[in-house]
Amino acid sequence: MPGIDESLLEAMRLPGARGALVADWISGLALGAVGDAPGGDAEATAAETAELARQAMESGTLASADGGGTGTAGGAPPVEDLILTGADAYHLLRFVVTTFDSTVFLYLWLDRADGNLALARIRLAEMADRLVLG
Amino acid sequence: MTTAERTDGSATELLGTLAADHATGALSTESGIFYLAAGHVVHVESAHSPDLGDLLTRSGAVAPAGWWEAVERAGAAHQVGRRLVDSGRLTAGALELCHLGALFDAAYFALAHDGAALRFRPGVAHWFGAVRPVPVATVLRESRRRVDLLHRIWPDPAVDTAPLTRGAGADPAGLPPRRGRTLALVDGGRTAAQIASALAHRTFHTLVELRRLAADGLVTPAPPPPPATPVHPVPDAGGAAWDEPDTALLRRLLDALEAL
Repeated sequence: MPGIDESLLEAMRLPGARGALVADWISGLALGAVGDAPGGDAEATAAETAELARQAMESGTLASADGGGTGTAGGAPPVEDLILTGADAYHLLRFVVTTFDSTVFLYLWLDRADGNLALARIRLAEMADRLVLG
Repeated sequence: MTTAERTDGSATELLGTLAADHATGALSTESGIFYLAAGHVVHVESAHSPDLGDLLTRSGAVAPAGWWEAVERAGAAHQVGRRLVDSGRLTAGALELCHLGALFDAAYFALAHDGAALRFRPGVAHWFGAVRPVPVATVLRESRRRVDLLHRIWPDPAVDTAPLTRGAGADPAGLPPRRGRTLALVDGGRTAAQIASALAHRTFHTLVELRRLAADGLVTPAPPPPPATPVHPVPDAGGAAWDEPDTALLRRLLDALEAL
């Protein structure tokens, strides 16, 4: 049964993975990090990606759960993941769904030349589920 | 317990010294307790933030009977967390996410009211047991960052502690879901900690929502009552009355005693 570190190390086994972390999108807290981070500081990366994640999660128009619904506690989040494409890398954010109060996501920094975006997106979703469901 | 050590420095300074000494024990501040093992933070409690049991059971993540079974069976051995995972009630990942969430939440409040009343009890461990120890420097850095984050959103600390009033025309509908649920509990009587407790949310995360609401003019802190008048009564909505911070602290003490 994977914990935070095992999940991050699994993410790092994806081809092209440069770094991965678990962060909180309201506080900006880095709960765990492995590998490199853009800019070299995992905590700064966590805070910055958290702000991006929050903007998406709180976007009234884009993040409507069922075409206008408000979303309920413990239900599916209105946003499942985010993909930001840079000149030489992808930034993948996958929200983790928990019953208890947590506002966390998995982040993967993926090399654009060596990485497989479709594969990484599927694997990251599986890791986010396994982290809390076993 | 064993000998208690009094110091005159701040909690931040003392935590730094304890980390350098690889100390094990419990450091009490005016508003919380840090549990250290070999100089790392393994658990933090504060009367201003919901404890792990509240976060897990009141959200439905763990049934109350299952929580208490783990506390009774493994509390004396300081392995409640491991028991929850081994008995299949929680995955290791979920336990880490919830525990770290509660740890950094409590740490913010344990440091926020940093008075002179510091006490370190060497050797004292928490009954929950270690989950994912965090370096002291990380906890201190994160707490400082959180102070700055709140200040950037809306620089009025009264929002964090005063009873809160809804602004004219403030409507939870149309807001992001968490912010809407937070606003719905602003009733002129509840404080941020009471709203967090009623939602089974971490208190710092509730402060963030409330400061954003205050920045938008949807929430205002009530002025402090004159000394002669009684404080605002706290309405009992959905069994929230027993969640007042002092009661929560007493229940926690009871839990700890029962686990000995």
